[in-house]
Amino acid sequence: MIITRRMLGVLPIAMAAAVAGMVPAGAFAQDASTLVVDTAFQLKTADPAREFEPTANLVLHPVYETLITFKGSDLTTLVPSLASIPVVAPDAKTFTFTLNPAAKFSDGSPVTVDDVIFSFNRVKNVKGSPSFLLDGVTVAKGAKDGEIVLTTEQPDPGLPYKLANPAVGIVNSKLVMANQGSADEGADKTDRAEAFLASTSAGSGPYILDKFDMAAEVVLKRNDAYWGAKPAYDQIVVRNVDTSAQQMNVMRGDSQIALDLRPDQLDAIKDAAYTLSVPGADVVFMFTNANPEISATAANPDFQQAVRLAIDYDGILAIAGEGAARPGSIIPTMFAGALPTDAGPKRDVEAAKAALAKSGIKDPSIELTYVSDITKNGVSFADVAAKMQADLKEVGITANLKPSPVSTFLDDYRAGTLPMTIVWWGPDYPDPSDYLLFGPGEKVGLRAGWKAGSAPEVTEIAKKAAVEIDQAKRVELYDAWQKALNAKGPFTSLFQPAFSMASSKTLEPVEYNAMWTIDLTAIAPAKQ
Amino acid sequence: MSFLRSAWYALPNLVRFVIRRLFVGLLLCLGITLVSFALTQVVPGDPVSANLGDRAASDPEIVAAFRARYGLDKPVPQQYLLYLERLVHGDLGESQQTKRPVTTDLAQYLPATIELATAAMILALVLGITLGVVAAIGRDRWPDQVIRVISLAGVSIPTFWLALVTFYIFFFKLGIAPGVGRLNPGGKAPPSITNMFTIDALLSGQWTTLGIAASHLVLPATVLAIYTVGSITRFTRAAMLESLSQDYVRAARAKGLPERTVILRHALRPALAAIVTVAGMAFGRMLSGTVLVESVFSWPGIGQYAYKSALALDLRAIMGVSLVVAAIYILVNMAVDIIYALIDPRIRLG
Repeated sequence: MIITRRMLGVLPIAMAAAVAGMVPAGAFAQDASTLVVDTAFQLKTADPAREFEPTANLVLHPVYETLITFKGSDLTTLVPSLASIPVVAPDAKTFTFTLNPAAKFSDGSPVTVDDVIFSFNRVKNVKGSPSFLLDGVTVAKGAKDGEIVLTTEQPDPGLPYKLANPAVGIVNSKLVMANQGSADEGADKTDRAEAFLASTSAGSGPYILDKFDMAAEVVLKRNDAYWGAKPAYDQIVVRNVDTSAQQMNVMRGDSQIALDLRPDQLDAIKDAAYTLSVPGADVVFMFTNANPEISATAANPDFQQAVRLAIDYDGILAIAGEGAARPGSIIPTMFAGALPTDAGPKRDVEAAKAALAKSGIKDPSIELTYVSDITKNGVSFADVAAKMQADLKEVGITANLKPSPVSTFLDDYRAGTLPMTIVWWGPDYPDPSDYLLFGPGEKVGLRAGWKAGSAPEVTEIAKKAAVEIDQAKRVELYDAWQKALNAKGPFTSLFQPAFSMASSKTLEPVEYNAMWTIDLTAIAPAKQ
Repeated sequence: MSFLRSAWYALPNLVRFVIRRLFVGLLLCLGITLVSFALTQVVPGDPVSANLGDRAASDPEIVAAFRARYGLDKPVPQQYLLYLERLVHGDLGESQQTKRPVTTDLAQYLPATIELATAAMILALVLGITLGVVAAIGRDRWPDQVIRVISLAGVSIPTFWLALVTFYIFFFKLGIAPGVGRLNPGGKAPPSITNMFTIDALLSGQWTTLGIAASHLVLPATVLAIYTVGSITRFTRAAMLESLSQDYVRAARAKGLPERTVILRHALRPALAAIVTVAGMAFGRMLSGTVLVESVFSWPGIGQYAYKSALALDLRAIMGVSLVVAAIYILVNMAVDIIYALIDPRIRLG
């Protein structure tokens, strides 16, 4: 055949048609046994002992079971998982767990006490981000078969809540050790199992890891050897999708769940999908630095009071959007010990002016630093800072806004050198003891210049709360501690940004869980 | 010495040119490592804060382990020398974000971007040259005016906005474009040969995968191409107008050659030299500027990798991306010079 120039000219069109023809009809349609979830990835590793990012919790929770866990959105009640609810010694230093003998890993081998000891020691010794969860904890075999005893140096009634974190999920020790894993002292240098755990999984959960691509998607396959109830989907694909595309994907049916929507996007989608907008677990707060060496103005207690009374909290909550909430103090609304909103400070312009006059500072001016390059669930810190600036101006305080990229902001914030700032705290584990760090002389307290001994009554209550094991008494103590914190401390809670998501109506409604965002193992198709 | 000199001059011009340019390119890359290393040192912010959790960043043991793992505990000059030493062995260090060798990350992400940029470049060249030639032929008449508006729009419309709008229209409204990503959700990638899915699917004969990968490429490549179409159109038009006013074009017409032959063979060929220059620069720009398109279309390429590395102060990853993009720029420029010589016999390499 002679190929003419005209034929060459139409060649690209013919090739395009041929390529289009290669895509069989329905090639883009989705398999009903696959669940697709869109989220903007915050993911660094598939190794439970090294992970501490929200997306890692989301995708590893179905793969690595923990000794105890939570159900649905309730983070106040622990439920058994691989083990029973622990027996806690009265001194809150010894915790005894009993393993469920039916539990087995995805390769069919049983979950043993040795696996638990290996997993916990590995978390401690690889010295990754979650290592602190087991600081001062010793793990050993109990007297009976299947018994594990955890001993702490200090009383720690919050320990069981830390153990529900997927980072302390139980791994198959034999498999991990066979793939260069180590739990010994010095594992931060000798453990090389991270790459192996990114290619396959070594857990006992209802799903196994099939693909781990930190930039594109994580694919989970059903664990056919699972020892518990069979999950609904054969495969779950969690994709890294920009927030701008997530709404369109779920409306179009390309995905079933979109996890990173803004509250204002929900209106457009509510007829086509289930929407959920609830307070997230992060608490955005502000502080005026109590260290006079950083700022004599910020450290003045009357000035601090003037600032607290000047802020229009309702206005800031409106900026945060529907679904956002304001906790009464620093503990978020879904945790035991949270205070109701009305326990927090209220706006009173006249009282603020009076407090400012009492401070003796004429025409005060202060630098207000905020993070400029990220948002919290769609809420811009610049908007919040601008609102605060306007509120403060009304009472005669000049706030000079200082935007800062997060990478430099964190250094200054952690060094305690910011006179006044808006910042956030995400829970490390769902227990009020995580917030004792806001006390005087504690880690976050020091960032706000609140030195040890500055408020002995706050410290006293904190000491009691830290060791109390009776849940009702704990709640009372944390209530009292937060009220004292509100009255004496440099911190003021502003809001909990809303977590806004949408899920397809082909699914049963999905619940939010502040630990792993949503429980992928509990998602099921809508009942007919 | 004279033997070496005569051996050198015995080499063909092209070979000498390539060797010389590669040598200069190596020196440039060395300079780039120094500049990017210096910049990563002067940027305020500590990688420890950016990479470790709040609690971990306050634990001196964990911080020390982190610094030791990434060599940040050594004096700055020593860090640079160690980097160079490893670089000689092809080791770009370990990424603090992904905890993998930077070479592994680049091998995964760079081909995705090259595939996208190449598809965009082919599209931009075909459209840009065609529109430029048509505009030049119809100078100051309506085709020229229409094309001028198109090319102006191409260089003016923000890429991020265009990406969202095209995704909205072709995926969401019309449903004729596939969704985000390089393949369908959970889709199996073809056997890894180049990590460019269309090429790998073609080489391994996976026709369905080829179709799916190509269809996922169409929309992001088109968006990425739009800006370059505008600039290539304008350069082509200008170069063609210059060519069309030359004596040899008039002579060709006087000889009675068909207008199509005059345009394509006598006018376009000399104009191609200018177009190749623009195309070479545009390709480099595409490689380093795909981040917004990659973000909207969830395309796991080097743009997103570089952006996240910068946010996390992932020094080795930043340096790795800088070095590779610089090397590609240098190679593309060299290729452009060689193509010059092939297009225009008046140009001699040496």
